Amino acid sequence: MASRKSGGRLRMAIDVGGTFTDVQVLDEAGGDPWAFKTPTTPEDPARGLATAIAGAARAFGFDPADVYLLVHGTTIATNAVLERRFPKAALVTTAGFEDVLEIGRHMRRDVYGLHAETRHVLVPRPLRFGVPERIGADGGVRQPLDEAAALGIVRRIVAEAVETVAICLLNSFANPEHERRLAQLLRAEAPGLDLSISSEVSAEMREFERMSTTVLNALLMPVVSGHIERMAERLTATRLSAPVLFVQSNGGTCGPRQAARQPAHLLLSGPCGGVLAVEQIGRRLGEANLVGIDMGGTSFDVSVVRDGRMAMVTEADVDGSVVRLPMVDIRTVGAGGGSIAWVDRAGRLRVGPESAGADPGPACYGRGGREPTVTDANLVLGRISPDRFVGGAMPLDPAPARSAIETRLGAPLGLGLEAAADGLIRIALANMARTIRLSLFEKGLDPREFALVAFGGAGGLHAALMADELAMTRVIYPLNAATLSAFGLLWADIAHDLSRTRLTPAETGAAAKLAPVLAALMAEGDALLDGDRVAPAERRFEAALDMRYRGQGYEVTVPLGRAALDEGVLGGAIADFHARHRERFSHADPDAPVEVVTVRLRAGAHTTKPAAQPFTPAGVPAAVKRRPVYLDGRWQDLAILDRASIRPSEPVEGPAIVEEDYTTILLPAGWRIALLASGNLLAEKPSLEC
Amino acid sequence: MTVNPDPVQLEILRNAFTAAAEEMSVAVRRTARSTTVREMLDYSTAIFHGDGRNIAQSALSPMALTLAPCLMEVLDHHLPADDWRVGDVVITNDPYCGSQHLPDIVTFRPVFVDGRRLGFTGTMAHHVDLGGGSPGSYDMTAKEIYAEGVRIPPLRLYREGRLNEEVLALLLQNVRQPAVLRGDLMSQIAALDIGERGLRRIAGKYGVPALTASAERMLDQAEAAMRRAIEALPDGVHEFSDCLDDDGVGDTPVHLRLTLTIAGDGMRFDFSNSDPQVPAPINCTFNVLRSTIHYAVIAALGRDIPVNSGCFQPIDVVARPGTCVAAIAPAPVVNRIQMAHRIVNVVMGALAKALPDRIPAAYYGVSYVYMLEAVEGDGGRSIYFDSEVGGWGAEPARDGANAFSCGVHNIAAVPIEMLESRHPITFTTYALRPNSGGAGRTRGGLGLVREFMLDAPTGTFAATFDRFRVPPYGLAGGQPGMTGSLTLLRQGDARALRSKVSGLRLQAGDRIRIETAGGGGFGPPGERPAQARAADIAAGYLSDD
Repeated sequence: MASRKSGGRLRMAIDVGGTFTDVQVLDEAGGDPWAFKTPTTPEDPARGLATAIAGAARAFGFDPADVYLLVHGTTIATNAVLERRFPKAALVTTAGFEDVLEIGRHMRRDVYGLHAETRHVLVPRPLRFGVPERIGADGGVRQPLDEAAALGIVRRIVAEAVETVAICLLNSFANPEHERRLAQLLRAEAPGLDLSISSEVSAEMREFERMSTTVLNALLMPVVSGHIERMAERLTATRLSAPVLFVQSNGGTCGPRQAARQPAHLLLSGPCGGVLAVEQIGRRLGEANLVGIDMGGTSFDVSVVRDGRMAMVTEADVDGSVVRLPMVDIRTVGAGGGSIAWVDRAGRLRVGPESAGADPGPACYGRGGREPTVTDANLVLGRISPDRFVGGAMPLDPAPARSAIETRLGAPLGLGLEAAADGLIRIALANMARTIRLSLFEKGLDPREFALVAFGGAGGLHAALMADELAMTRVIYPLNAATLSAFGLLWADIAHDLSRTRLTPAETGAAAKLAPVLAALMAEGDALLDGDRVAPAERRFEAALDMRYRGQGYEVTVPLGRAALDEGVLGGAIADFHARHRERFSHADPDAPVEVVTVRLRAGAHTTKPAAQPFTPAGVPAAVKRRPVYLDGRWQDLAILDRASIRPSEPVEGPAIVEEDYTTILLPAGWRIALLASGNLLAEKPSLEC
Repeated sequence: MTVNPDPVQLEILRNAFTAAAEEMSVAVRRTARSTTVREMLDYSTAIFHGDGRNIAQSALSPMALTLAPCLMEVLDHHLPADDWRVGDVVITNDPYCGSQHLPDIVTFRPVFVDGRRLGFTGTMAHHVDLGGGSPGSYDMTAKEIYAEGVRIPPLRLYREGRLNEEVLALLLQNVRQPAVLRGDLMSQIAALDIGERGLRRIAGKYGVPALTASAERMLDQAEAAMRRAIEALPDGVHEFSDCLDDDGVGDTPVHLRLTLTIAGDGMRFDFSNSDPQVPAPINCTFNVLRSTIHYAVIAALGRDIPVNSGCFQPIDVVARPGTCVAAIAPAPVVNRIQMAHRIVNVVMGALAKALPDRIPAAYYGVSYVYMLEAVEGDGGRSIYFDSEVGGWGAEPARDGANAFSCGVHNIAAVPIEMLESRHPITFTTYALRPNSGGAGRTRGGLGLVREFMLDAPTGTFAATFDRFRVPPYGLAGGQPGMTGSLTLLRQGDARALRSKVSGLRLQAGDRIRIETAGGGGFGPPGERPAQARAADIAAGYLSDD
């Protein structure tokens, strides 16, 4: 295998996904990142992670001891939620409100459903304890904490032998005193217990959302700390001694201690890698507005980068559980290569959301799948090569694909094979395009002002067709699309998002009331950055205020640009609030009273990053093959190129197919694709107007 | 000229129509001002065929199904389609012209391509106030619709793109929050424009003939799917009746009586024998009756039936004008949701006789709408308006859901912390209500308990509840759910209140306790597995005696 020549410092990123563990290693002395892939080991992801490190070291000839930083994206928290693999937990809340966790916001999603949708009760009723106490909305103590009752509850919890406890009292964001006292009592009686306190996890107004977030955090603490411990043991064996940083749902990293303490922040760690990569590609290419589409086997994920930064949300739903924390805004629909097409009782041709998954998988996998899928349709239409799927490791069989499409779709609908296969793909495309359009429309944005970044195994086949649907004219196909999430992790920065609700009318004197809240958050941020060993000079603080018109039930986040609050800054923020409100909701009312709801602070550090290196083309000879491909309603003899054979100065005109090991790019007529200095491919459709 | 759309294009166009309705919906949510629209999401948007039939809709409440027949009502009886021009916007809120009640304003706009009327776009939104005897236009004591607010007959607010300022001024002069109403109305009109652009985009891309043919085909397909679903039911005649406890004025129950006839691929719902309309705002109009039946049938017969005007063709609805389910002017109707709940209970009860393995027992069937006006020492007032949910009826194979929106009701609870920061009240309990689910082989879902205290010196409370006397029914031998109750707690005394109260004077420290109904049980209680019962006791859903 290759042996390393330079002695540069190595930065390593590992993305542990559902199927594969992907590694990227960047030698800061120069060159492109190395990419490596091994299967994920779901029973103990740390094992696959260690295998990946050892494998990459062998393949590229480096010593793991030379790695100075390991950035880790993980689905451990997400999977625990999806599989409901939780330890035994208790919840302590204000007496009279023990059922808030179960009642929730009680709105159903399925308007016409005859049967109730399943609601997951995270902690069962007998393990939810109410303690007599009451804090008012203004933070005042309405009823003191009943110490004797509290102690009784603590003893019952200890007797129940739970592993972890969540504490969430009403209005604790305004005054955490009672929550802290309860935590003290619990720690005194049961020092080994994991403890999650709502005023520390998510000090924001809205009791159900805060409670749900705190309980999830409590449930994940033993899961994530177990993973961290197992990982530490495995890493020692690989000779890798670098600090490990975990990527959080906000795209920023944190150290292992913080990850173990606030694991709810890891729930979207997995998908963040891809979005970080889209951000990085945008920086590299000077593109500020991008839509990332990640199309794999079962789902289609859309993310948005606007003005160079990933779009965020302050609350999200993770498989039916509400999490109120800042997270990357990712919209998912069940549309992937494995999505199954079917004819419903009304005679409609439908695609998804059910997926054939990996086993049996699409009919063409030859593992007994009988249902036609998106991948089957692409194979039947000649758009993917049967002998180059997953780099040739998995030959595809067109015969069962053809038969599935003919019998399940063609016959009942009276369509020929090609028409049925092509129709299946067009319907899937319409669903995906609608998802992108809505995702932008909700933010008041126009798709035509964005470029698409296509990744995931099936992204390349569909991106340009989708762009055509949306009148978008540029699509970027990243280098190493198959390990793109890991590539994105290489560029992550330390970032801790902190917040506290302090409902305050935005009038004279407000800055003086809010400044101490910001100062407290700064102190908290400093403590976290101390833990990350970030030097004071490298620390970056960005503050923001969630504001609204008095009486509204939703807020607009207004960045302050820095971390200071005086009358001048607040005045600027109020003006900015009216402007942002107008942009987002198309109206503003400068005379109406405004209130500040929540103070936010991002405490982070810009880690030094290597300069991007120019891409060295592989210089594979341009051996152009041809094969019949069904496109635009007819069979055409198309050029099939190897991605590595495309030269910087020689763009390729569509229609054509570009193949690489883990993905295929379909370039329709009217499009032209070119190799950029960064190694990414850019497809463009010249405007028809002059 | 007929074009026969292929199944692929049909599906792509269906997707495009739905996307256009969704974009309209996002446009309303993004630009509306009021809490009713933005937080309670009480609005809907739709796309219509050139002849007025509905082809796509976006809504979170089943009650939004009234939007489509409303357009038909306007076209058939008020403003004929031939008289609609480019740039017109027609509005109405009159329940006797197709709206549900006065707070709901509907708006429609025709869409023309190359001079030909291709379709309509429409929106419905619940506005904060349309005037009348009580804030929010919810006058619980109304004897006639005139007390409920301003009635807008179908009229052109815009004619060929020009706003009729005088009509708008007349409207705004008569409502409590004119700026909010104007903002929400303009947001509805902006959404009409978004929908129009969506329809034009589709026409531009696929051509008018394909668009029209696809719309026809979608309607036909939906009708055929519904006919097949009905055909699969055994033919028969089923009777079912249920009632509201009382109308809040008198003390006698108000009965709804249904004769359901299933014959071949059609169904007939005959409500002719229901009680006369009452001088209290719990009546509903025929449009609400019909749309509520449509909702219940869609829910009962399955998910593969596309929801558009086509699927309702095989359903015939009959009622006698002047009855509580087909009120005639000037009957008050603002709380028509009371009647809609009971219509669902009755329709499901009748359908259960044809589909005994599928239909659940009765759900709580009340929206628990209540209002508290608090008056501070300095005279400052705040109005707290809310609603609650109860338990679902037990399903044949599964317990009913606890405390969850059901039937024609779909609302999100406003956080207690948010309410306490806005109003001088303190909540003392928000909890499930043990033992409230009807016993059965499968158990009805639990209702809930909500209790709050007035912190201001004085206040006035009003509520319109039901199911205090006649509980949600059980099926197949299951027990009914527990009835609801309303209690005033004052200085250690508990005083049971009627289900419908208005003008109740409160003082500081008074507490209002609301207990909502549980769902009915399914199957004989004796057949409940011992372990399911033990689990209920362990969870505290059932007390151990």
